[in-house]
Amino acid sequence: MSDVLTGIEQPADEEAARGAPRGSGAVRFLLGKLGSALLSLALVVVLGFLLFRMIPGDPVVTMTRGRPVSPEQLAELRERLGVDKPMWQQFVDYIGGLLRGDLGTSYLFQRPVADLLTERLGPTLLLVGTATLLAIVLGLWFGIRSAWRRNSRFDKVSTGTALTLWSMPQFWLGLLLLIAFAGVFPSGGMRYSDTPPDVFSQTLDVAYHLVLPCLTLTAAVYAQYLLVMRSSLLEEMNAEYLTTARAKGLRDDLVRRRHAVPNALLPTVTLVFLQFGMVLNGAVAVETVYSWPGLGLLTYEALSGPDLPVLQGAFLVLAAAVILMNVLADLLYRVLDPRVRAT
Amino acid sequence: MTPTTDETRGVRAITWARRKQATAGVWREFARDRGGLIGLGGLVLIVLLALLAPVLTDETALEVTNTTAQPRQPPSAQAWLGTDRDGISVLLLVWWGARVSLLIGFSAALLSVFIGTAVGILAAHFGGWLSTTLMRFTDFFLVLPTLVLAIALSAVLPRGIGTIVLAIGVASWPTTARLARAQTLTIEARPYIERAKALGAGHRHVIGKHVLPAVLPLVFAHTTLVVANSIIAESTLSFLGVGDPSRPSWGGILQAAFNSGAVSQGAWWYLLPPGIGIVIVVLCFTLCGRALETVLNPRLRGQR
Amino acid sequence: MRRRRGRGAKGALAALSLVTGLVVVSAAPAAQAQEEVTLKVALTQEIDHLNPFLAIFQSSTGVGRVAYDYLTRYSAKDQEPVPGLATDWKTSKDGLTWTFTIRDNAKWSDGKPLTAEDIAYTYNLIRHNETAATANGSFVESFDKVTAPDKNTLVIKTRTPQATILALDIPIVPKHVWSKLSKVDDPKMDEPPLVSSGPFTITDYQPRQYVRLKANKNYWGGAPKIDRLDFVHYDNEDAAVSALESGEVDLVNRLAPAQYDALQDNDDVTLNKAQGRRFNELLMNPGAATKDGEAIGDGHPALRAVRVRQAIAKAINPQVLVDRVMSGYAELGSSVIPPVFEDYHWKPSAQQRWKFDKRKANQELDAAGYQRGADGVRRMPGNGRPLEFRLLGHKGRTFDEQSARYIVEWLGEVGIKVTQEMVEENQVDEKGTAGEYDLAFSGWGVNPDPDYILGLHRCAARPNAQGQGGTTDSFFCDQQYDRLYARQLAEKDESKRQEIVKKMQQRLYEQAPMVVLDYDNALEAYRSDKFEAFTVQPQPTGVIMEQNGNWGYYQAQPAAGGGEGGLPAGGWVAIGAVVVVAAAGGGLALRKRGKSVEDRE
Repeated sequence: MSDVLTGIEQPADEEAARGAPRGSGAVRFLLGKLGSALLSLALVVVLGFLLFRMIPGDPVVTMTRGRPVSPEQLAELRERLGVDKPMWQQFVDYIGGLLRGDLGTSYLFQRPVADLLTERLGPTLLLVGTATLLAIVLGLWFGIRSAWRRNSRFDKVSTGTALTLWSMPQFWLGLLLLIAFAGVFPSGGMRYSDTPPDVFSQTLDVAYHLVLPCLTLTAAVYAQYLLVMRSSLLEEMNAEYLTTARAKGLRDDLVRRRHAVPNALLPTVTLVFLQFGMVLNGAVAVETVYSWPGLGLLTYEALSGPDLPVLQGAFLVLAAAVILMNVLADLLYRVLDPRVRAT
Repeated sequence: MTPTTDETRGVRAITWARRKQATAGVWREFARDRGGLIGLGGLVLIVLLALLAPVLTDETALEVTNTTAQPRQPPSAQAWLGTDRDGISVLLLVWWGARVSLLIGFSAALLSVFIGTAVGILAAHFGGWLSTTLMRFTDFFLVLPTLVLAIALSAVLPRGIGTIVLAIGVASWPTTARLARAQTLTIEARPYIERAKALGAGHRHVIGKHVLPAVLPLVFAHTTLVVANSIIAESTLSFLGVGDPSRPSWGGILQAAFNSGAVSQGAWWYLLPPGIGIVIVVLCFTLCGRALETVLNPRLRGQR
Repeated sequence: MRRRRGRGAKGALAALSLVTGLVVVSAAPAAQAQEEVTLKVALTQEIDHLNPFLAIFQSSTGVGRVAYDYLTRYSAKDQEPVPGLATDWKTSKDGLTWTFTIRDNAKWSDGKPLTAEDIAYTYNLIRHNETAATANGSFVESFDKVTAPDKNTLVIKTRTPQATILALDIPIVPKHVWSKLSKVDDPKMDEPPLVSSGPFTITDYQPRQYVRLKANKNYWGGAPKIDRLDFVHYDNEDAAVSALESGEVDLVNRLAPAQYDALQDNDDVTLNKAQGRRFNELLMNPGAATKDGEAIGDGHPALRAVRVRQAIAKAINPQVLVDRVMSGYAELGSSVIPPVFEDYHWKPSAQQRWKFDKRKANQELDAAGYQRGADGVRRMPGNGRPLEFRLLGHKGRTFDEQSARYIVEWLGEVGIKVTQEMVEENQVDEKGTAGEYDLAFSGWGVNPDPDYILGLHRCAARPNAQGQGGTTDSFFCDQQYDRLYARQLAEKDESKRQEIVKKMQQRLYEQAPMVVLDYDNALEAYRSDKFEAFTVQPQPTGVIMEQNGNWGYYQAQPAAGGGEGGLPAGGWVAIGAVVVVAAAGGGLALRKRGKSVEDRE
């Protein structure tokens, strides 16, 4: 979680202003952004290696749990996994593997981690994507309305609801919805086993399973968007040009649509990308409660091993996704912000 | 040019008086925000209740070998909020759980804010390569998926309250760092700092006497929000099973409930109270934090 | 005003027409699915592999048991070996050569006949290929030679007499398919359709979602009475239980007491409380050492004294754990062989049983010189080391986490300070094997033959100097016990063997390297509106799922009334569609109304 509620600091804002480029600066700006993203990625890769080498426990024991194995078999497994090698050798292997797209083999599932991650990426994208879209629509709509009618009953109710939802651990909201809708919606998973294989039935089935997890994830995320949209719009409305616009006799509604909303949209939309990490955090909790077969659930399952290659792979993929989103946020900010564009 | 003791005292008195006045002003502003007042009142009440738990309740009733009540019973005259999987009153459990949740929330927030403030101020004050390095590091930690990082950390370290505090603290400091840095930059741009530096004030003097007092109020406001986040993060981590089972926090109670089949039993009395506790506390902190920020950050004044 | 209402109504109407369309379309495939009888079984454990050589998890081997045939089977009645692919067998005088007669009427799902050649191929593959030995290598370790002189005869020669020869849990695979593969872990072998010979054939597999099987109508034992068998994945028991309640699945196991109780009011659901094969125990590190007697680990020295262990046995009250932690769905524990195996189970008499008595435990510790310090914690005589024990357990395992609190409090009363150490499963195993514990929760599922579980407590079961190769459970090492073990192994007379086995359990009980806390009941539930009572193993108190066989699934029978009770899944899909579309429509209408309000301003 991060402090969107403060709404006082916008990294993109600051950096964009600092590095306001001129002429060929656009290319330099782009390269600079990509460069820092790559650096972050490299740090993630190193951290991913170090962090998960520190976890105690012999992976071979995890793999051979619950069945008799001879010492020879154990030694063979250790060699295959490379856990006996010195640390630097492991690191070189790890980097080499990464470059080849090889993330090792899962201890628990006995399958390539890369396969597992690809398999789980789809459901997470579906869940996170749907929830984010819904949250944007709801958040912006309610946010604009709340700001415009500040201190009205509508504002109080919608801001209050948003604050309450924001104060809830997502897994708890998930548990409550699970009890409340027991029997109405599926209790978990992504599809039934006996749904006919045609595209239409399958789509409907997945959509049906998606309802509760999506609702849960949307609830917390939309609340953030709402609060930010509201406060940035309020800020805009205090700006002088709006008073001017009103003084010119423009209708309130027009003022809002033409001037305030587009300007206030900027920080909010950027935030959607910047806060992507927070949405992913939510996805881990929600997927766990609803057994949604995505990356978050995979992380949770890998924890119980602990299945180091999977944890490491999930960490890399999730961190890389957040870094990518941040680059997009920077670019988007540049495209959208009239001040930066003008120079 | 060493000032005499009397003069020092005089200067100090003036500083104190000014600060007292400023505090009173802040309080007056704060008191105008009804949400903030409600939040503050709620917090005071909850913290008091948590602190007084050993006085107001009987701790031995938490011992599993002492209870005779049936496990997983709905609310009744004996147990107002029903019983948990061991037959212990849920009310009592939540009451004592508040102590753990609050303790972890406060400690993690303190750790996080401490790291953040130090990094932020150092980066802004010294500038140069130190600043670049520190801020690069901050940016890096800012983008990491905090929950995954915290999960990984708590898997690496031995289980216990300390680990959770560390995991949350280490994963959540970057926002504070950015805030502290921005504020320090603003302060140090002011002429009187220039003057102080010209008069030969060292780094310690500038940071200790000028920067810190100016940065701390905003950081303080921010801290309330960090506590709120830490409490939510703690409950999520505990729910995912990295908490300390011998001293259950609110998240730990929920995990126990979930694992013992409370959802299929429909045991709402077991699932609702800990969650409501979290929501109330987090809401109170958030309301306080928002109100404080409005007061302390002139840019936001008059908006909310 | 009127204009606005008109708009809202139009929106609602559009939504409604969309909904009706969806219902009609999605109801059609649902009706189709009704013609076949499908038994849907909830699995809460992951499938690791369908490849029978790699499958290790209980869930996967369970699927294997219905898809593949075995040389012999365990009977449903009393778990005695009965014919499987082998109809008959005889053994040579020295017990080293076994000759099996293989049935004529077994066929692979691709129509080719199953012969002794396939069985020999399977066993030899495991013997000579390390990957193939992954799951079941231990069964063939003492095999010297496996041959198929003709298509109805299989000969196995072993180097040493092997008690488990009639209980080889090795799925037999088709030679004509597997011999064409370049490697045993070919990913193709995890993708259906897979050629097998059991009562069901795997047709479809979606990882983490389901495994689908269809009945093998040509099965040599007769076609199953159901058409399909689906194993549906659920991530936790709660999800599985609500799926059972809504009719999504028909059979669920591994229920927690709370869930089992919650299902009691459901008329469509019948419960099965089975005598389990599992026990939970509290280990007390009696001084971990290697085979050669060299001390390893860091167990507390006080626990090496039998008197301390016995005092602990008196200070804890397993009956309370049975009543409160297990809600009565367990039996009071005593020895390492559960009462479900009544021939071998030893039960202490009233005098022999450790009686829960804090006062007596305290007195005994006092008398043995373990005096309490100022903090109330006892000290060892001599070096004065406080009696502070760690309690190792599985993180996330409800029994361990709940019982730990009782143990901590009980032992606290007798001046022993216990701190919980709940760690991941592999760390439990690792610390356990290395002797790095004082007290630890453990548990075993016991096989019909007692040899394995008894062998775990021999001196020779302890690890070697490198800390490897040991299977010891308790680090117990006792000459008297080992002598008894050798005697029961050599004893040909069954009733005499039972006597010795019981004596061994008594010795373990008295020396107390562990306290067996309870024998878990296996809690299962099924939709009795759709299915007749299932065949349990052993009868009449056994389990439906997780059998040593496939009787529960193979002999499943649809209920006489016909499974019309629940709403078919397709119906739920339709309802879901209605809700989604209605919500969207509602949102649309709301938006429209909002807009007109805004216009008015």
